[in-house]
Amino acid sequence: MASLTLRALRKQLGSQPILRGVDLDLRDGEFAVLVGPSGCGKSTLLRTVAGLEEPDSGSVRIGDRDVTRAAPRDRDVAMVFQSYALYPHLTVRENLSFGMRLRNEAPSTMASRVADVTSMLGLGDLLERYPRQLSGGQRQRVAMGRAIARRPALFLFDEPLSNLDAALRAQVRVEIRRMHDQLGATMVYVTHDQIEAMTLADRLVVLHAGSIEQQGAPLEVYRRPATQFVAGFLGSPAMNFVPARVSSDGQRIEAQGASVAAGPEHAGACEPGRDVILGVRPHDVRMGTVMGTAIEFVVDLVEAMGSEAFAHGTVGGVPFVARIELRVGTLAPRRGDVLPMWVAPESVHLFDPPSGHSLARTDRGANGG
Amino acid sequence: MVQRLLVVVCLVTVALGCATHAQRPAGEVMIWHAYRGSEKDALEQVVEVIQASDPTLHIRLLALPFDAYASKLESAIPRGHGPDLFIDAHERLGGYLERGLVMPVDDLALDPARNFEPAVLDALRSGDRLYGLPLAVKCLALYVNTTLVTTMPTTLEQIEALRPRLASDQYPLAYSAADSYFHAALAHAYGSGLLDGATGQYRFVGPAAIASVERVRAMLAARTIPDEADAALVSRMFAHGRAATVISGPWLAAELASTMSYRVVPLPRVASAGGTAMVPYSTIEAVYLSARVTDHDAAARVLRSLAGIHGARVRAVVGRQVVAHRGAWSDPMLATDSFLSAFREAARRAVPMPTHRAMRVAFESASRALRRAFRGDAHVSAALLQGQRRFSDATRSEPPRRSPTLALLALGVLALALSVRGVQRARDPLVRLALRRSWPAWRWVLHAAVVLFALVVAPLFVGAVMSLYAGREGSEHYVGLAHYVDILSARGGALLATGSFYRVLAVTILWTLANVALHVGLGVALALLLARPLLRLRGVYRVLLIVPWAVPSYVTALAWKGMFHRQFGAINALLGHVGVDPIAWFSRFATAFAANLATNAWLGFPFMMVVTLGALAAIPKDVYEAAAVDGATPWQQFTRITVPLLGPSLAPAVVMGAVWTFNQFNVIFLVSGGEPDGETDTLITEAYRWAFTRQAQYGYAAAYAVLIFGILVTSTNALGRLAERVRQRGVT
Repeated sequence: MASLTLRALRKQLGSQPILRGVDLDLRDGEFAVLVGPSGCGKSTLLRTVAGLEEPDSGSVRIGDRDVTRAAPRDRDVAMVFQSYALYPHLTVRENLSFGMRLRNEAPSTMASRVADVTSMLGLGDLLERYPRQLSGGQRQRVAMGRAIARRPALFLFDEPLSNLDAALRAQVRVEIRRMHDQLGATMVYVTHDQIEAMTLADRLVVLHAGSIEQQGAPLEVYRRPATQFVAGFLGSPAMNFVPARVSSDGQRIEAQGASVAAGPEHAGACEPGRDVILGVRPHDVRMGTVMGTAIEFVVDLVEAMGSEAFAHGTVGGVPFVARIELRVGTLAPRRGDVLPMWVAPESVHLFDPPSGHSLARTDRGANGG
Repeated sequence: MVQRLLVVVCLVTVALGCATHAQRPAGEVMIWHAYRGSEKDALEQVVEVIQASDPTLHIRLLALPFDAYASKLESAIPRGHGPDLFIDAHERLGGYLERGLVMPVDDLALDPARNFEPAVLDALRSGDRLYGLPLAVKCLALYVNTTLVTTMPTTLEQIEALRPRLASDQYPLAYSAADSYFHAALAHAYGSGLLDGATGQYRFVGPAAIASVERVRAMLAARTIPDEADAALVSRMFAHGRAATVISGPWLAAELASTMSYRVVPLPRVASAGGTAMVPYSTIEAVYLSARVTDHDAAARVLRSLAGIHGARVRAVVGRQVVAHRGAWSDPMLATDSFLSAFREAARRAVPMPTHRAMRVAFESASRALRRAFRGDAHVSAALLQGQRRFSDATRSEPPRRSPTLALLALGVLALALSVRGVQRARDPLVRLALRRSWPAWRWVLHAAVVLFALVVAPLFVGAVMSLYAGREGSEHYVGLAHYVDILSARGGALLATGSFYRVLAVTILWTLANVALHVGLGVALALLLARPLLRLRGVYRVLLIVPWAVPSYVTALAWKGMFHRQFGAINALLGHVGVDPIAWFSRFATAFAANLATNAWLGFPFMMVVTLGALAAIPKDVYEAAAVDGATPWQQFTRITVPLLGPSLAPAVVMGAVWTFNQFNVIFLVSGGEPDGETDTLITEAYRWAFTRQAQYGYAAAYAVLIFGILVTSTNALGRLAERVRQRGVT
C-alpha cells in the first residue's frame, strides 16, 4: 500500500488540452473518487497514473518512487477496466493468477491468494469457467479479483459499474466499499455517477475540463461547493441557479420573485448592489412562508416519485425545481399555481457570476482537502 | 407462369438447334483445322478458290485451338457432328485409326505416288492403305546468323570451331539440348534413335546412344552450347545475336525481326560419327477423310483440290508452308525462296516421326535420361539405362481383365440395403413431416444443388469408376482394384524408390508442412508489423504485400523458374555478387525443393497475412492494457495473448492452406517440373503425368486421384476437428 502524489500533470492531444496541471495528494489507504462529466479528463488522468499514457509534463509518484516514465508493469498498480478486459482464452482461475504467473510466484502462494480472492468475492463456482460463460456482474467480480490477487500498492478503477444494471450496480458498489475496508488499500476510482462518488469516496475529486475544481470529503464538497460547476454537478435534481443582486443593506439577496436572507458565511462577502448567482438545492426549499424569506414559485408540472415529489416551475421566470410533500388527502399543485416557499439562510449558496466561484467565506481554502 | 414459358421456349430452341446441327445438306463439306496466322489465311484462300471453281460445293472452315483439337475430334466424329475433312499431324493417325475415325483415301482415283515422296506417303499408310493426303512437312533445320558467320557450316565440328571467334556471352550453337525431340537428330547421326516405330522397342540405350550424349556433354563443357536452354531462351538468344546458329523449326521465323539477316540450312553432319548427317524427325500435316462423312463425293473433290498443286502453291506462298506436293516446287517463286527451299531440303533428309503409341513415353523417358546425364551426377550409361527402365515401367501392359460380377453384386446389395432403409424412413411420419416442411427450402436450393452435383459430385463418381478400369479409350476393361494394389505396392519396386507412391507421398507431406509453416510464419510476422499504428505508409505496404496473391500462380511460377536458371537467372546473379558460385538449382532435390518452396511461399503468405490482420483487429485493445498492468512485457503479451487469440482464427485458414498446398500443381509442375528426375514431384503432378504423358493411363491416374482425395478427406476431417477445438477456446 502506498500514497499517490500527482504534480502539475499536463497532457495535450494535438492542440486539445486534456489535463491542465493537475495536483493531487492521496494518503496511504485513502479511497479517492474522480468524478466529472464526459470529456473532463478523468479517464486520461487514471490511465496516466496506470502508465498506459504518458503525461507531457508533471510527475507521478507512488509511495516514494517517481514512476512518471515507468512502464505499467513496473508501477505495482492494478486496474479494473470498464469492459472488464478479462483474458478470453483463460479460465477464471487462470485469469486470477495471470499476474502472479508472470512473476513466477510459487504455486503455493498463487493457490492461497486465489483462494482468498475467491472467498472474498464469492467466485467459488466459477473458477473453471471461461469469461464468455459468465454474466456481467460475475465478470466484474473476476476483474476485481484479478486486481486483488496481485496485492498491488495502488488500485485503479475505470468506471467499473457503468456496464451493469441499476440493481447490480448498487450491490457491487457495496462490495467495493467493503473490499476497501477489508484490504485498507489505496484506491483511485473514476466515475461519472455522483451517487457512486458520494457513497464510495473518502475523498471526492471533482474534475472539470482538465483541472480539479474541488476536492474534499464528499459531504463537505456537497455542502460547501467551491464553484458553481461543482454545486450544479453534485446533487440530483441539480441546484437551482437564479440571477440576483445583493440588497442595499447587504443582508438580503434579491431576485425577481425571490428575496432571501444571506447566510452567516456570506456576511461581509456581499457588497451592496453586487450581482450574484443565487443557488438553492431543490431539497432545501420548504413550502410556506417564513418571515424574512419569500420565494414565489409558479408551478408548471409535478413529478411524483412515490416517496417524494418534485415540482418543476419558475421563480421570476427562471426555471426552478422544488421538492414538495404530497400529503395524503390533499390535491397536488396544478399548473399555474403559485406556491410560497422559503429557504434557510444556511442553505443559500452564492456565486460570483463571471468566475463561478463561491462567495462563501470558509476557514479552509476553496481547494483545501 | 411467364418464367416457365420462357424456360420451355429456351429448351425447345436448344433442342431444335442440336437437331439441325446434326444434319448437313448435300454438297456441304465441313473442314476442321488448327492453323493460325498466315497458315490460316492461306487455307482460307485455297478454300475460296475451290469454292469458286465448283459452285455446287458449299465448304465451311472451322479453326479450333490446338490444345483441344484432338480431343474434340475424338468426341465429335463418333457422334456424327464432326467434320468431313480435317487437317492434323501424322503422328496422331494411329490413335484415329484405333478409334475408327478415318477412312482410306486411296480409292478416290488419286495418283498420290506421282505428286508426293514415298517416305511421306508411307507415314500416312497403315496396312497398305493410305489414309490421308500430305499437305506440308515440318522439321528442324539450322538457322545461321549471317552477320556472325560468313561460310555456311556443314559439319558440327565447323560450328564448334566458331567458339574462339565469338565473345564470351555468345555461343556458336543454341538449341534445347535436353529435349529428346531435338536430341533425336543427333542420336540418329550416331546410329541410335528413340523408338523403333514398328516394334515399339526403346532404342535410346547402348554405345551409340552413349556416344551421342557424350558429344553433347563435350559441347556443354566447351561452352559451345548454353545449358538449360529451352525454346524461349533459344529464340531470344538468336534474335539478340547471342547465338551464331540455332536448331529450330519453321516457327522460329515468325519471332525474328524482318531486319535480321540469317539463312537456313539443313542440319549439319557429324564428322566424329563417321560423317553422317543429323537426321531430325519430321511431322507431316495431312488432310484426312472422316469415317462419318456426310457427302462422300463432295468431300473427295475438296480433298483432291486441297492437296493439289494449286492449293499447294497458295499454301507455300501465303502460308509459308513447306508443301509436300512435288509439282508445286517447279514454280519459280517457290524455287527461289531460300527459306522454304532450305526447309524442304531439310525435310528430305528427315525421317517421319514414328506413329507408335509409345512414342510419347519414349520422349519423356529419353528427355529425363538426358537431363540426368547432363547434370553430371550419374554416369551416362547409368542415366540411359534408367531411362529405359522408366520406359518399360510406363509401357507396362495393363492389369488383366477381371470379372466385375463381385463388384456388381456388392453394389447391388448396397443399393438394396439403402433402398430398404430409404423406404423404412419414408414410412416414418416424422420424417415425412420434416421433408414436407423443408420442401420449400429445397425449391430455392435445387438448381444450385443440381449444378453442383453435375460439376463436382458427378465427376468425382466418374473418376472413381474410371479407376476401376484399364486400357485405352475405346477398349477399357474392368480390372477391379488392380490399380490401387499397383500403386500401394509401389509397382513392385522398392517402397521408397523414385516414382513410388510412398516416396511421392512423403515429398508431398514435407512440401505441405514446410509451406504452411512458412506461410503462417511470414504472414503473421508481416501482419504484426502492419498492425502497428505508428507505421507510416501502412496502406501502401498493405497493397504491395497483397500483390503476390493477386498475380496468377502460373505467371509467378514461370517468372521464378526463370530466376532460378543456372546461367541467366537473377538469383544466381545476386549470389554471384556476394561471391557464391552459381548453383544448379534443379539438379539436386534440396535445391529444387527450395526453389519450389520459395515460389510458393511468395504466393501464399498474403492469405495468412490478411487473415491474421483481421484476427488481430478482433482482439480487444484493453486486454493488452490489462496484461501490461498485470506485468506482462511486450514479448509476454505476444506469447500469452496474441498467439492464443490468433489461434482460433488461423486454425481454419491453416487447414484450408494445407489442402491447397497439398494440391498445388502449378508451382511444382512449372518451377522444378519434378526435377531432378521426378524427385520433387508431388502426388498431383505424378497423377497428371500418368494421365497425360505416359500413354494416357487414365485409369491409373484416376486411382491416384481417388487416393489423393481419400488422404485429403481423412486428414482434413482430423485437422478440422482439431481446429474447431482450438477455435472454441478463444471465442469471447
